[in-house]
Amino acid sequence: MREPYSDLVGRGRVHRRFYTDPAVFEEERARIFRRVWLWLGHESQVRRPGDFFTTRLAGERVIVARHTDGAIHAFHNRCTHRGAEVCPASAGNARNFVCPYHAWTYRTDGALASVPLEQGYGEDFKRRMDALRLEPVARIASYRGFIFGSHAAQGEDLPAYLGPEVRAAFDNLVDRAPEGEIELAGGRTVQRYRGNWKLQLENSIDLLHPRILHRSAIDAADRVDHGGQPPSIEWDIVKANSLTLREWDGMQIAAMQGGHCWMAGFLTKAIDENPLQKRYRRMMVERYGEERAGEILAFNRHNTIVYPNLFVNSRVAQIRVLQPVSVDCTEQHGYIFRLKGAPEEMFEASVRMVNTNNSPSSIVTSDDHEIFERIQESLRSGRYEWVDLSRGLENEDAAQGTNELPMRNQHRAWAQYMA
Amino acid sequence: MSGAELWHRVQQFLFHEARLLDERRLQEWLGLYAQDAEYWVPYAWGQKSPKDHVSLYYETKSLLGMRVDRLERELSPLDSPPSRVNHYLTNVQVDDGDPLTARAHLLFVEYRREEQRWFAGRATWRLRPNGAGFLIAAKRVDLLNADQDGGHLRFALPF
Repeated sequence: MREPYSDLVGRGRVHRRFYTDPAVFEEERARIFRRVWLWLGHESQVRRPGDFFTTRLAGERVIVARHTDGAIHAFHNRCTHRGAEVCPASAGNARNFVCPYHAWTYRTDGALASVPLEQGYGEDFKRRMDALRLEPVARIASYRGFIFGSHAAQGEDLPAYLGPEVRAAFDNLVDRAPEGEIELAGGRTVQRYRGNWKLQLENSIDLLHPRILHRSAIDAADRVDHGGQPPSIEWDIVKANSLTLREWDGMQIAAMQGGHCWMAGFLTKAIDENPLQKRYRRMMVERYGEERAGEILAFNRHNTIVYPNLFVNSRVAQIRVLQPVSVDCTEQHGYIFRLKGAPEEMFEASVRMVNTNNSPSSIVTSDDHEIFERIQESLRSGRYEWVDLSRGLENEDAAQGTNELPMRNQHRAWAQYMA
Repeated sequence: MSGAELWHRVQQFLFHEARLLDERRLQEWLGLYAQDAEYWVPYAWGQKSPKDHVSLYYETKSLLGMRVDRLERELSPLDSPPSRVNHYLTNVQVDDGDPLTARAHLLFVEYRREEQRWFAGRATWRLRPNGAGFLIAAKRVDLLNADQDGGHLRFALPF
């Protein structure tokens, strides 16, 4: 009999097994990650026929490639012959994928094209070849150039899964490019921590913690003597955490269907008050006109969190994705987009922001990850079995700031998937 | 100055930098860096530029100062209890050109909270003569596993 894991999510609290039980993690893989749409990459990574990249989809290794007919395909990175990895590269351009073990050769749509000494496989092999194509990912779809995949053959289509509020975050990221086009560039950061994936999901919408946990970084920023020079973007980002608790509590937040949520932006200083931004604003006005440009640039969100594992920061052209490794180990990958037609310095500033926030050397998120690891260890202690998420429970209709509604909303979605 | 003497002086300077880090004399360590210094640990193997690609560290002296200041106040959960580290330098070579360049292989061993871990890398310094000693104008450390797929657990002390 299947255990009703949804009991682990209570009213304003969750059971500690939610974070610590390996059996729960296995069920999450099956019932959440293998069922939903997960972000795979961006169309700019496979611009030309033959372009490909490899990534993970719910922990499984997949290849995403653009075929000669222009269509994008995703399939498992596993030879249908003896199971070897077909493509070891992280990205590139290929005519075919040739398995290094016995040279079974696949086209960029996954079709098996040839095998050595074909006659040795019997008379009907030509007919069997069709079934021996690289196993396709069940579903693949793009929204505004963002490629998603799902291991589930059935389910909501991608736009419905995302919903209007999440789609608006992708729209805005793309619309911020003066040429209306973006490209993924600049590599990626990977931060690893030994804690459950949901700790990061909660933390990214937890507005009570920055001023408290990031105190040492904020204090260090406060003591910097800029010597009359304008502060660096790196400094600005660290300093942005220093809003007072009352200011954090006044921040706009939203919780949507499906566990998604967003919070308002707080990087105003870093973003709006420098000459580069003014130059960029003029380019946007030239391209879109005053009114539309104003609308696009006024879209002021920090994170839009797409359940279960994607963080979209439209305003700074970045996304982060969680790759859960095990119940107590998670990777967080940070990516940057270049806004076509925008000054190159904006892309450079995005690179520096990601270095500051999402490199393993970050003086901000390192403290978050340290805390996640301590939670993961400490939760085993004591007889008390619950973790409290009751802040603002009685005031969900007017939730803002430090109300923990968005976290409860994530966990309610979890309970529905896991029921 | 003979090549052997220069090599000796540069090597002693690099050992001194390593020792300041190992002994957590971080303000003194920072003092070895020129005002316009760059400290760079690339993310990609053979990375050409810190501008158009992410880095593990790409910091000015001011940012390094913020990092050191934070480590010295011991308010950060990241660094309590503090890490203990050893920097081992071998294969030191000096190129007496303009700028003066030193290269070494680096082994960085860190112990913290029941775990010892290590990183191997290749370090390059651009040095400026400064009185009887040197100032570091730039330091670059290429870790052998900088871009490993699974990423890295957080770093506290500089390489």
